[in-house]
Amino acid sequence: MNKYKYTQKTPRLLFILASLVAILIAEGIYLNATKTLSLESQNKRKEFVSISGLPDLAISTEATFIRHRSMSDMFSIYKDDGSLREYFPSTYAYSHSHIINGQTNAK
Amino acid sequence: MLSKINFYLIEYAINAILRQKYKSFFITTVLTLLVFLLTSVFFITNSIKYELDSTVDALPEIVVQKIKAGRHYDIDVEIQEEILGITGVIDAVARVWGYYYFENAGVNFSVVGVDEFEKQYKNSLTNVVKSGELGESQNSFMVVGSGVKKTMHKNYYKEYFNFIKPDGTLKKVDVVGVFDGDTQLESNDMIVMSKENVREIFDIDESKATDIVVKVSNPDEVQTIASKIKLIFPDSRIITKNDLKISYQNIFDYKSGIFLALFIISLFTFFIIIYDKASGLSNEEKREIGILKAIGWRVDDVLKEKFYEGFIISFIAYIVGVILAFGFVYILQAPLLQNIFTGYSQLKTSFELPFIFDVQTLFLVFFLSVPIYIAATIIPSWKTATLDADEVIR
Repeated sequence: MNKYKYTQKTPRLLFILASLVAILIAEGIYLNATKTLSLESQNKRKEFVSISGLPDLAISTEATFIRHRSMSDMFSIYKDDGSLREYFPSTYAYSHSHIINGQTNAK
Repeated sequence: MLSKINFYLIEYAINAILRQKYKSFFITTVLTLLVFLLTSVFFITNSIKYELDSTVDALPEIVVQKIKAGRHYDIDVEIQEEILGITGVIDAVARVWGYYYFENAGVNFSVVGVDEFEKQYKNSLTNVVKSGELGESQNSFMVVGSGVKKTMHKNYYKEYFNFIKPDGTLKKVDVVGVFDGDTQLESNDMIVMSKENVREIFDIDESKATDIVVKVSNPDEVQTIASKIKLIFPDSRIITKNDLKISYQNIFDYKSGIFLALFIISLFTFFIIIYDKASGLSNEEKREIGILKAIGWRVDDVLKEKFYEGFIISFIAYIVGVILAFGFVYILQAPLLQNIFTGYSQLKTSFELPFIFDVQTLFLVFFLSVPIYIAATIIPSWKTATLDADEVIR
């Protein structure tokens, strides 16, 4: 490489690209070491699921389509799509709490 | 390989980028943001999917429900005896569970009845309860998820909770334990108690159950057994583990698909702008190409130089975008973006996304960004470079 006469820019660019890739790899290794599911916690999750028998993740408790997908209406399967089961905003209705909205139940 | 790379051209490309500092900086920033957004959404989806896939195997193979007037209905407990008689079935258990709507907080708890709460399940429960301790109680008792505990606390229920039964009377149940934080994604809204208590709270008769779960030893037989059950009980709805897996795949594909569609639209808008700007190459740029050709550059030299230019910008944007996405999703736990996947619930969890190194996502985003950007810079230059030098300069 010495036989060419470059300015500092090319080595600098190569250095920047190499360090970016190195940062990415280092970040990946760090996350892999600290943020992956440990076997113990994975076993805990499995045990919990086998106790409850309910598969679904508690990330959407009002949406029956995500929380407990095994519990929904038969006919809603084919309403939108052959594989779609019940989903919250369109097929789910409940009376919201009047207390939390600061209103009374009086008609 | 190294000898094939013309470092003089790279040098020239760097100078060309630096000559238009602001434009290059702006393009790199926008492309970085696009890459960051798409990669983040894919990372979140992958993590949640992984979490689900790792637990889905612990589920019963088949769930049998009764359907009446097109709706789910309580099933007869006796049916489990008949199902047990089918060859290949190793276990059939009638489950009792349901949603309890807690009006004061406006949230649904999932209440699950567990067989012989006090005996065989106690060991398993101890493993998944915080600090491994189950408290004692003289009355009816339950173990709750951390979200449920928090909601109850806010509503002044610290040691116990009063369930309102369908006949209007109250059922007092003591809280003896909280599920471990590790299981939060599964247990946040969950209440586990004995089957008798659940029957009392939901007023379900002894002879009825919510559904029946069937365990099958050989996974290849699941489909056959499912169809046998369907033949014996035509009013039932059979859900296999595979059905659940597929429907989850659909939900996540749908949610990340929306983002992919948005990304593609914004990406193409971005490239149309670049292509448009570049194809009406400014007079200065055209003159530059003309001069380069006049002093002896071949068309492929010009294209190579443009390739380096495009590659430097898009590759830096790609790498920075991915680095930011990794940090945003796995270190900061994706604030705001996570909410897209958590739905409308008021009983939200603060869950940890487990790290998954997904090469497929990285390749997908790479091929969606880098080559397309390079193409958008090369094509207009190629059009200009193929013209005669004097024509271009004039």
